[in-house]
Amino acid sequence: MTMKKFINDPANLTRELLEGFVIAHGDLVRVQSDKIICRAQPKPGNRVALVTLGGAGHEPALSGFVGPGMLDYSVVGDIFAAPGPPKVLEALRLANREAGILFVVLNHAGDVMSANIAREMAEREGIRYRMILTHEDIAPGKDAPAEDRRGLVGCLPLCKIAGAAAEAGRSLDEVHALASRFNDNMATLAVAMKTATHPASGQPIFELPDDQMEIGMGQHGEAGTGPSPILTADQTAQRMLEPLIEAVKAKAGDRLMLLINGSGATTLMEMYIVLRGCRAYLDSRGIRIAVARCGEFLTVQEMAGFQLFVARLDDELLGYWNAPCHTPALTMT
Amino acid sequence: MPQPMPETVTFEQIGRLLEGAVDQIRHHHERLSRLDSAVGDGDHGITILRAMEAVSQTVAQNPEGDLQQLFSKIAWAVMSCDGGSTGPLLGTFFAGMGEAGAGKRDLDGPGLVALIEAGIQQLQKQSRARIGDKTMMDAFLPALAAMKSAAPDEAPSRILQLAAEAAARGAEATTGMRAKFGRARNLGDRVLGHLDPGAVSVSLLFQGFSETASRFTADPGEQRQPGLFQIPIPTTTTPTKLDVGIPS
Repeated sequence: MTMKKFINDPANLTRELLEGFVIAHGDLVRVQSDKIICRAQPKPGNRVALVTLGGAGHEPALSGFVGPGMLDYSVVGDIFAAPGPPKVLEALRLANREAGILFVVLNHAGDVMSANIAREMAEREGIRYRMILTHEDIAPGKDAPAEDRRGLVGCLPLCKIAGAAAEAGRSLDEVHALASRFNDNMATLAVAMKTATHPASGQPIFELPDDQMEIGMGQHGEAGTGPSPILTADQTAQRMLEPLIEAVKAKAGDRLMLLINGSGATTLMEMYIVLRGCRAYLDSRGIRIAVARCGEFLTVQEMAGFQLFVARLDDELLGYWNAPCHTPALTMT
Repeated sequence: MPQPMPETVTFEQIGRLLEGAVDQIRHHHERLSRLDSAVGDGDHGITILRAMEAVSQTVAQNPEGDLQQLFSKIAWAVMSCDGGSTGPLLGTFFAGMGEAGAGKRDLDGPGLVALIEAGIQQLQKQSRARIGDKTMMDAFLPALAAMKSAAPDEAPSRILQLAAEAAARGAEATTGMRAKFGRARNLGDRVLGHLDPGAVSVSLLFQGFSETASRFTADPGEQRQPGLFQIPIPTTTTPTKLDVGIPS
């Protein structure tokens, strides 16, 4: 079957999408060495730099969040595939500074492997960094070992908060501690309604019958908790929030950040309806929503579904969340 | 009279062994991607092809130097190919071979085994996967065990034949395994009955080494056709083994 996508040669997807990306956002970002997205105006060297890496095909993530208040460098891989260690090392060298680097890695086998090989080499060169591994997916169970839990959309609010702290001149240890605290208090659960086409292979990334949805589906079609009949928005919200709240140990009176991250083909209409359902459920538990956002931050091509993200906030985390940022995909004033 | 099998492989022949491995991947990459559709996101064939084309280019560009220089350059070129964990894993394998290849150009049988063993050991520093985890290791580790069981005076071509046969059997066995690493891990029982594309790729690499090495002997009557396609498969009656479990 012909793939219904506006593309040229599937072998050039990443290069061409990055070319377009910098045309659209040339005031904020530029591309270096083909696959490294960096700020158009670099941050001063006395501020901690944020570096991350990840496959393409998830736009606007991750490179859409490079800019003042968030990331400094994003190393882009191929579609759904980690960039190789040499490019990651290059980004760490570019970011190298006295203030140090916060190196944010999402828990996916390829990303972790590239990151580990690159940082071993960076260490030998005396590059100062601290690493944060995000693994907030609770699909394998909230008590599953961290290595079994994938890094999903949570890396983005984490980078927002750590980025604001870095911008404010906090030290590497302080930025790392803040990011760790947020990391330890966040959780994501995804749901899929329709599959997506891998834009390089033209194949569906998973199979899901027309009358089924799947809670726990990862952002590359990794299986979740198994297909189930389609639920209403309110039922879905409750089904997903229950384990999320338990995972972050939210109690009555706690303040949550709640993000509904569309996977690509779920409408904003649906996300708002789900958000309303989330609010109703949280109200019933006495838990407050301090931050609520719906939108597409980390997508999976034209997959229908969303990732529901929650994090338990304190004043400091909320303060840095509310700090200004100016990136292609997120601007806060 | 058949000529005796060469007791050493030269630097130039090692380049041809690698080229033979590249050819196997060129020939099978579409099937590898189809295999990956069942257990991953369907891009393994593209990824491993890109990595092996980088091997081919590096071999062509480096006719001089020792095995350390050759394999270090191969490792960096392979790691530079973006491709999830495949590039770093395969690159790590070649990097380990490079570290063991300092000052060497020609290898006898035990030297060849030591080189490959160093590559696999380096790989094990990066991946905790063991036999039974449905990964590349299910082909690498049986291949290594078979090579190490060979007599010290065994010819390199025979050693590589043993490795290819063991790697093929190891790859075949992945159909009965659940995955412990990578994206397939999350599929649980759904990967049962499917080959691991990484293990199949590794068995194809050894198949390429073995078939190429068998051609180093002058007498065609002595040629062997070892490897993947001749090992009986328990789950099917079709003779083309790679078709097992591949969605069309």
